[in-house]
Amino acid sequence: MPVQDRTNEFRACVESIRTRSSLPARGSDAKQRLLQSHGKSGGKSDFSRMAAGIGKDISSTNLKLGKLAQLAKRKTLFDDRPVEISELTFIIKQDIANINKQIAGLQSYVKQRNAQGNSNSPEGKQIDEHNHNVVMLLQSKLANTSMGFKDVLEIRTQNMKESKDRTEQFMFSTASAANQAPSNPMGDGSPRLNSKGKGRAPQNGDILALNLDSAEEGTASENGGAFQQMQLVEQQDSYIQSRSTAIESIESTIAELGQIFTQLATMVAEQRETVQRIDADTIDIASNVSGAQRELLKYYASISSNRWLMLKVFGVLIVFVSDPFRSLCRVREADITNARLQFLIFILVS
Amino acid sequence: MKVYSLSVILAPPNGTSTVLSAASDLSSFSFYQKGSVGEFMSFFSKTVAERTPQTQRQSVQENNYTAHVYNRGGAEQLVGVIITDQEYPVRPAFSLLTKVLDDFASKVSQSSYSNPSAISFPEINTYIQKYQDPRQADAIMKVQQELDETKIVLHKTIESVLQRGEKLDNLVERSNALSMQSKAFYKTAKKQNSCCVIM
Repeated sequence: MPVQDRTNEFRACVESIRTRSSLPARGSDAKQRLLQSHGKSGGKSDFSRMAAGIGKDISSTNLKLGKLAQLAKRKTLFDDRPVEISELTFIIKQDIANINKQIAGLQSYVKQRNAQGNSNSPEGKQIDEHNHNVVMLLQSKLANTSMGFKDVLEIRTQNMKESKDRTEQFMFSTASAANQAPSNPMGDGSPRLNSKGKGRAPQNGDILALNLDSAEEGTASENGGAFQQMQLVEQQDSYIQSRSTAIESIESTIAELGQIFTQLATMVAEQRETVQRIDADTIDIASNVSGAQRELLKYYASISSNRWLMLKVFGVLIVFVSDPFRSLCRVREADITNARLQFLIFILVS
Repeated sequence: MKVYSLSVILAPPNGTSTVLSAASDLSSFSFYQKGSVGEFMSFFSKTVAERTPQTQRQSVQENNYTAHVYNRGGAEQLVGVIITDQEYPVRPAFSLLTKVLDDFASKVSQSSYSNPSAISFPEINTYIQKYQDPRQADAIMKVQQELDETKIVLHKTIESVLQRGEKLDNLVERSNALSMQSKAFYKTAKKQNSCCVIM
């Protein structure tokens, strides 16, 4: 049979998938109904659902950002695909704004529940702390994503500048004026888009939006002196700004130098203790060695003076040794002399 | 990084501008080009001076040359123009212009503006020579450079202090061992004395 009628199987598949996908929904509904009796716990599953949704959005945005980074890193001269890059940039910006709104909504939800006076019980306090931590975590993840986005845009503008320089090399000055005009919309477009997206970020207070804005403005304003009016005002500001940045860098260098000096002082102070130990040890060594020398001198002196005593002792011994030879026959007195000898030797040895 | 020419121009807002004082350093061009290049420089300076509104700074790029213009305006309506190559840093160029214009306004009286050839401002030559190396001439850059050098010296100092620390640790160990040994030596010597009194 060339054509098989499998509609029934198809319908069965659809039914099974529907039941499968409806189960979690029914499950969460059941959970909600069960937990509604606990009041605030119903809100907890709500909160976790919103947080999970936001987390999924953040991860998908990160994926797209990775793709954009890949595209932005390409350094080919001609096959640039600017349309795709700008589309992706726009999509990512929208996603970030969306996630921002969701996080703000989540935060207000948390505050609203806090305002309901639930934080008296210890459980409530833990739950509030947990919610607060989750919100902080999501905000920090979003901040990381936006930082990555900003880096990718910077790489993109750098690469565009390099490619413009290279095309200048090949097509000299007549093309440079023409190229400045098309590159400016990109340079002016992206800072404007960025400032809009990051403008909402200061709500959270975690993301530094101001530095971003001025940095992007700086790169835009350096893009050529062809447009007179706007560039004039920006030039006025940029001279003063460049002076202030130069002086700020000097200030930071001086602060760094101060830090280095304090580090140096700390290190030398740590070493002072070591030096004191070495000092104490050397003094000990000196006293020990001099004491040992004294003892040795005493020993030497006693040895050299002791010889007279030893001679006298030997003399007495010889006298006593020769005595038993003479009195071999006198047994009793030999016993007495032997006893005396042993006694004397005992005294000498002890 | 070179400065090609530096000039002070009187530019009243209604058109004609006159060069009051100019100095140029065309040593990098060959002898036959110097004349035409010098003329180009003065023409360029006058044109951009006329086109810069009062109290504005501007940078114009033309082939390999960049002209930084600062129209000081005020009572004297002076404009300072400096023509450099493209590598020269922008900020010290403008600070140089400000300095030159202030100096000129204080040294040369306004009455002599109508007679440009009689104006003598030899400092402009010293300025152009000094600012060939912006790192030394500009105060901010000089301070930054000295600070960087000091930082390098300090890094070396810290490294040598670390080495000193290692050597000190070495010394501590050795002096400790020596102290133990000398103590043992003393004890042995003392023991010699107390033990064998007779012999």
